[in-house]
Amino acid sequence: MGFFPELDDALTAETLTTLKRNFGLAPRIYRAQLPRSDIVDAQVQLLDRLLFGKGALSRVQKEFILLAVSAENNNSYFPALHCQTLQFLGVKPEQSQQVLVDHHAADLTDSDVALLDFARRLTSNGRSFTESDVDLLRRANFNDEQILEAVLMVGLTQFLTCIQFGLGTEPDFKPRLTFPLKEVNPAVAAERQIPEPEFPGDFVSDDPDFEIVKRVRDGETDVFEELVRKHGRRVYRSLLAIIGNPEEAEDALQDAFLKAFQYLPNFEARSKFSTWLVRIAINTGLQRMRSRKDFDSLDEESEEFRPRNIQAWTDTPEEFYSREEIRRLVEREVMKLPVKYRVALILRDLEELSTEEAAAALGLSVPGLKARVLRGRLMLRESMVPYFSKAGAGKP
Amino acid sequence: MISCQDFISELGNLLDEDIASEIREQLEAHLAHCNTCQVLYDSTRKTLRIVTESGSFEYPEPIAEPLVSKVMDRIRAGCELSPSKSDE
Repeated sequence: MGFFPELDDALTAETLTTLKRNFGLAPRIYRAQLPRSDIVDAQVQLLDRLLFGKGALSRVQKEFILLAVSAENNNSYFPALHCQTLQFLGVKPEQSQQVLVDHHAADLTDSDVALLDFARRLTSNGRSFTESDVDLLRRANFNDEQILEAVLMVGLTQFLTCIQFGLGTEPDFKPRLTFPLKEVNPAVAAERQIPEPEFPGDFVSDDPDFEIVKRVRDGETDVFEELVRKHGRRVYRSLLAIIGNPEEAEDALQDAFLKAFQYLPNFEARSKFSTWLVRIAINTGLQRMRSRKDFDSLDEESEEFRPRNIQAWTDTPEEFYSREEIRRLVEREVMKLPVKYRVALILRDLEELSTEEAAAALGLSVPGLKARVLRGRLMLRESMVPYFSKAGAGKP
Repeated sequence: MISCQDFISELGNLLDEDIASEIREQLEAHLAHCNTCQVLYDSTRKTLRIVTESGSFEYPEPIAEPLVSKVMDRIRAGCELSPSKSDE
């Protein structure tokens, strides 16, 4: 506990929703500002506009700025929180850690290295900042809107860092990396111990996997097998939906379960184990796909979709094809969908996750998830018109 | 009176039957006189049924147990994650 009590009631429903949508939880720092929940609302709106919302810089670039500035400030709180968020965005923890330690060795593009150089310089030595610093970014092909966002992200992180130091907020997640105590104020810093969060031993959960998860965490490695057996199907289908190739999906399934096992100490039972696992699986699949040229990222939003090919369908369109033909048709057409719609549709309509579970697994808001599922369904409908419309049924 | 665009934006909730009764009534009123949305609704509903019942992307039974063993072997061996294709 920090210097102030941390309470969920401090937050308005809207703020709580925004936080949970983006972090999967309401971070302690926002819950610790109870007497001025109106200011928390404003802070979260700013986060929503600047960091979570679509802008000129990508979300990952902005998150990396936040990490670089936190590192420059020897702050461990925000890296612990945002490395988790980045993991949900498909960034490997190792890469996030490397951004904290030294972003030059973090396998970033040259322009992203320049961006983080800029952020760190502005943080550590803002007084001597000149237009030549801005020009460096312009030469790295950043436009003025992107540079402005970079400056704002540095400012926002500094602001939040100051709040965290001032409130003594302890990390929401166990930091993988703690910074050496701040030299500027060793007396205060020495007291800022970072405790290891306990898995809540007396915590009663309605998660059906809770007991097994707890046993694995307590050292019974072998019972993890039950989780692999129970959730293998769901993990495999999520991966196949992303990757499209059965052999690769099998490999990725192994990696996903290994990661889940490794990260189990970080699992805080704030969501169901199965939701958390699907999230890991999705990120594992996305990591494998990222380098492919035709891969379209999950983050990008695209323009409005207008259904075409409005032709009446037969009453029971399935009767014209065998079950096997329909299965092949569905798999082929689903695989043609852009990955963000495909994954959303598979989780909802094949895995039959609830809207909330699917949204949590993809790190999306409920409306965001619904929009993707609908888009997927409408695109799929369109691709099936030639097979099932009155004019076409049974012909192709 | 709602537009076709309004109808489409509520279509997902209508298909999921996750919709307030007053909105449902408005959508049904729209459907009663808009043939385009009627066809769109009907064919999307059928698409959904076809997809849900298609048994697509099934987890082949024969690979399930060997995969459990492989995962557990790797965990017990404490081995590293296999290099992903994208890292190569």
